[in-house]
Amino acid sequence: MASVPIDRLIDLYEELVRREQIEADPPTLCVVAAEFVNVSGAGIAILPTGGGMTSLCTSNGMAQELMDLELTLGEGPSVDACSADVVIAEPDLNSPQRHGWSSYAALAHAAGARAVFGVPVRIGAIRLGAMCLFDQRAGSLSEAQSSDAHLMASVVGRAVLALQAGAPPHSIADELAQRGSFDFTVHQAAGMVAVQGAIPVGEALARLRAHAFAIEVTAPTLASRIVYRETHFDPLTREWRETGTTTR
Amino acid sequence: MARESLLISTLVELADNLVDNFDVIDVLTVLSDRCVEAIDVDAAGVLLTSPEGDLQFVASSNESMRTLELFQVQTDEGPCVDCFRSGNAIVNYALANSETLWPRFTPVALAHGFRSVHCLPMRLRGRTLGALNLFRTEQGPLTGDDVVVAQGLADVATIAIIQHMSSTDARTLNDQLSRALNSRVIIEQAKGMVSQATNCGMDAAFARLRTHSRNHNARLTDVAQAVVTGAIEADDLDRVAASK
Repeated sequence: MASVPIDRLIDLYEELVRREQIEADPPTLCVVAAEFVNVSGAGIAILPTGGGMTSLCTSNGMAQELMDLELTLGEGPSVDACSADVVIAEPDLNSPQRHGWSSYAALAHAAGARAVFGVPVRIGAIRLGAMCLFDQRAGSLSEAQSSDAHLMASVVGRAVLALQAGAPPHSIADELAQRGSFDFTVHQAAGMVAVQGAIPVGEALARLRAHAFAIEVTAPTLASRIVYRETHFDPLTREWRETGTTTR
Repeated sequence: MARESLLISTLVELADNLVDNFDVIDVLTVLSDRCVEAIDVDAAGVLLTSPEGDLQFVASSNESMRTLELFQVQTDEGPCVDCFRSGNAIVNYALANSETLWPRFTPVALAHGFRSVHCLPMRLRGRTLGALNLFRTEQGPLTGDDVVVAQGLADVATIAIIQHMSSTDARTLNDQLSRALNSRVIIEQAKGMVSQATNCGMDAAFARLRTHSRNHNARLTDVAQAVVTGAIEADDLDRVAASK
């Protein structure tokens, strides 16, 4: 591989911070995704709780056209990546290997795309959406591109979570730069809060993240309090409560 | 059981597990358990590289917090990180001498009663996918045989990852690593739910998920996913049979 992933992550954060200073927030994630993975364009579709897939952002006009096409038809790389929870690759739309895109393949080709890819955006069992990448040349992603695509999808997942938790858009890059990935205490705590509040795990994780913002601690710090049963989410008042007792 | 027969039965068990539709986290957990039985170590665990380039815990011989905390620290620094970066094995490293090398990891490991660490890289065609970590409460060195066995088991862990690619829709090694790491996150989410719903600890919650998957011949990750999505109630998993 050309570079160590951790160096690529630093490149990515620097680019996000640079762009946040000159542009409005959400489109920058897609512009950065396209440049970072070195493809012609990118789009991000999110899956709101109980709703259909919605476009979050696209990197350029052609990306927007492909996203509209996919969401209108209900078929394509983002839709499949999200529902099947795997990476979808169609390296040559001229002679597609995939079946089931009866309309999308021809229309995406007509729009100028030659290769399309879908990468699921997820945090464990929480399906947040998918990232679509396309190229105007046919061909598979290289190993370095595929590694970068996974890295980007992981960053997009945390950005979507931060947005759901109400983080101000301009703080997303700072938020992402704090830590490579969540430790598993956060995921355990999200599971506990889901049962406490009788809410889906995705909502529990967003509430946990939002509460950590509100009381100005890191998500792992709050998660650790939840796991040691010092803090819990009250299902009746929908508020956080300190238990006072500790089993630590 | 004599060591040779234990090793043979371990390899047979792992080979039996590497059939279609196996669960990679489950197999790596079995592998970690067997390391503790077959080699003179007290805790074992597998870490894999994440898309971010750091190391993530995926399986261990012991789900208790104290061992997991060590893996946590390891995602930032420690023998496993060094082994992963260099691709070289670290064996018989006495923690008493490692304070300056790993200032965060060393005190945590010593406080948990560990005295020496060993770390074997999981390599594939020039790329290091992760590492097998072995902790000992004794200071003395591992025998040469133990080191050979440990590297052999690390190689089996690598094979498990690769073999798993052909049984899933993962197209590339990167897809496969990402999938394995995400499986672990699903299991952690489900552990939290089971722990809250049945008022048990995280290791007991993991044992129930595992027991349920065995009893119903279902993949561990699928059982965890079913718990998180509500297809199985978190307090409705099979109980772990009482041990003697």
